[in-house]
Amino acid sequence: MSAEVLVFDILGAIAVLAAAGVVLARNPVHSALALVVSFVNVAAIYVILRAEFLAAAQIIVYTGAILVLVLFVIMLVDPDNLPEFHGGRPVQRLLALILGLALLGEVMAAILTRTIVGQPGPWSPQAVAAVGGNTQALGRVLYSGYVLPIQVTAVLLLAATIGALVLARPDTPRVRALVRDTATISLAHPRGSEMANGVEPALPALAAGQLKLEAGERTLVMAKSGDDFLDQPVWGERHQS
Amino acid sequence: MSELTATHFLTLSAALFIIGMLGVLIRRNVLVIFMCIELMFNAVNVSFIGFAWEQHSLVGQTFALFIIAVAAAEAVVGLGIIMALSRRLDTVDIDQVHELRE
Amino acid sequence: MNWAAFLSNYIFAFIVLNVMLGLMAYMTYFERKVLAAMQDRVGPKRTGPFGLLQPIADGIKLLAKEDIVPKNADRLVFLVAPLLSFVLAPLSAAVIPFGGTVTVFGQEVNLYVADINVAVLYVLALGGMGVYGIILGGYASANRYSLLGALRSAAQVISYEIVLGLSLVGVFILSGTLSLVQILEAQQQPLSFGGVQVPNWYILSQPLGFVLFLIAAVAETNRAPFDLPEAESELIGGFHTEYSGFRFSFFFLAEYINMIAVSLLAATLFLGGTDGPIADGVWWLAAKAALFLFFYIWLRTTLPRFRYDQLMGLAWKVLLPLALINIALTGLIRLWGLGLL
Repeated sequence: MSAEVLVFDILGAIAVLAAAGVVLARNPVHSALALVVSFVNVAAIYVILRAEFLAAAQIIVYTGAILVLVLFVIMLVDPDNLPEFHGGRPVQRLLALILGLALLGEVMAAILTRTIVGQPGPWSPQAVAAVGGNTQALGRVLYSGYVLPIQVTAVLLLAATIGALVLARPDTPRVRALVRDTATISLAHPRGSEMANGVEPALPALAAGQLKLEAGERTLVMAKSGDDFLDQPVWGERHQS
Repeated sequence: MSELTATHFLTLSAALFIIGMLGVLIRRNVLVIFMCIELMFNAVNVSFIGFAWEQHSLVGQTFALFIIAVAAAEAVVGLGIIMALSRRLDTVDIDQVHELRE
Repeated sequence: MNWAAFLSNYIFAFIVLNVMLGLMAYMTYFERKVLAAMQDRVGPKRTGPFGLLQPIADGIKLLAKEDIVPKNADRLVFLVAPLLSFVLAPLSAAVIPFGGTVTVFGQEVNLYVADINVAVLYVLALGGMGVYGIILGGYASANRYSLLGALRSAAQVISYEIVLGLSLVGVFILSGTLSLVQILEAQQQPLSFGGVQVPNWYILSQPLGFVLFLIAAVAETNRAPFDLPEAESELIGGFHTEYSGFRFSFFFLAEYINMIAVSLLAATLFLGGTDGPIADGVWWLAAKAALFLFFYIWLRTTLPRFRYDQLMGLAWKVLLPLALINIALTGLIRLWGLGLL
């Protein structure tokens, strides 16, 4: 039993147990955590299978970005109203279990009774080391034969980003009819508001269909004392010239 | 089995895939179903990378890289849909999503 | 299996880990002294000579505090979150080269724990995993403000992680490798600038990348001026509000270890690591890392905090385009240098 097989077995066992934890956990946050464990173990298995770049990419993209996104969404959901608490469907579970076991049996039968035929490719470990490592070799393969899929993937990611922006946009608020403003504001004016004296304010007339005064039609006055700007009309006051 | 052979990683891939499939069939929480789908993607990736290692070819790793990229795009859009759905229906129970049906 | 090599590597890793942990404790002391000096006061001076026993006193105090777990908290996640932060932090030091290869007692010892082909990606991956400590800490506290602080902090970290990664792509283009040992070797080549021979430190060929890396690193480690998610006046304590005693100390110390790891990384990637004018060695690396740590503390004393939307706007609207322009420029210059343009 070589060390490689031993480590692979341990990591594989933990990955499978964590995957079972994803399915069995009641709390979705625990599911997400179990999935993180599973992914990290799978990334370690990629390192055993000499795919170091993929291992790092798996951790950076899958656990570091996708699962963080999933956790964000889980935390924005009401935790007291989870579907698990509304009762399961036992018939469904039993059927699913039977199906799963049947599939497992078939796949294991296929795996254990067959061997792989075919010519091995050119990238033996010595060839990979000769170009400088897994990253360099992968770079050579990707950018010589797979440039078009890379461009297509880039367009796909762009489309996904735009789609996400559109889906997550909040509803546009309807334009409400704005309250009409008065002509001036004068602070700390000693005469106070004319409304208390029963004087009906005369608002400037608006054109038909216009909701508010144009920006240039309103004048804003900041008065530091009541003696300034006495020639400006107070709110509601008629011109006395 | 004292050497690492194809049987090892194929068994792992099958186990992960089937557990993911069971999760999609059994669970009712949309987010957990989504996570089980990601698990299935991962199982397929293990298979690809295992074959790449065994056959001394890097094509498997290229495929796996593209699968990771596509899974990222799918996650983004899927989670957007889930959020929009949960805002509309105020639930994440997949059994409540049957508006298209009469 | 070469047991001698394995054993020597293991002992070296043990030494590195313990030195990191010791540095982390005295980093708190260093920070308090420098902060005090910049604020025209003295800092710790009573506990032991020159206050040198202050970190130990702090440690004893935090360990002796009552361990409070909120009633509605998710207990398992509450316990795991600070551990996750603390365990992931020193792992970045596993790929930093502290030198070349020396011969000790007739055994070749590598002065780095591991030379992996994707070393810098490994460090970025650890940074990405560090987000989980924050999110889980905030979630498990069963406290709305903690959750908000955690989500904000997580969004900040993942945004700046992108800038961090992209700012380093220029270095990868110039050195042709992701392995830190090979990047160090590439920086030891001479570079002629007119008639002057200087070492090929990437701060000279990648100034924009260096600045972007520094800003992103400060934001990644949640340090001032990017520390809104854990600022006391805004969200009480952010994601670590409900943590007390040694659990809080895990979060707190994880932040310091992250700072040290990032400083070591910056020194290796941009300033040539162990390279120095007189004698190459780990002392130069230590001096450069100390320079970065001093810079961190200096930023904390000087700059006011960013508001959250300013912080995110900076990452996505300013730093990310600059990083992409840096990559494009570096690629063009490299192609021109290779004669392929």
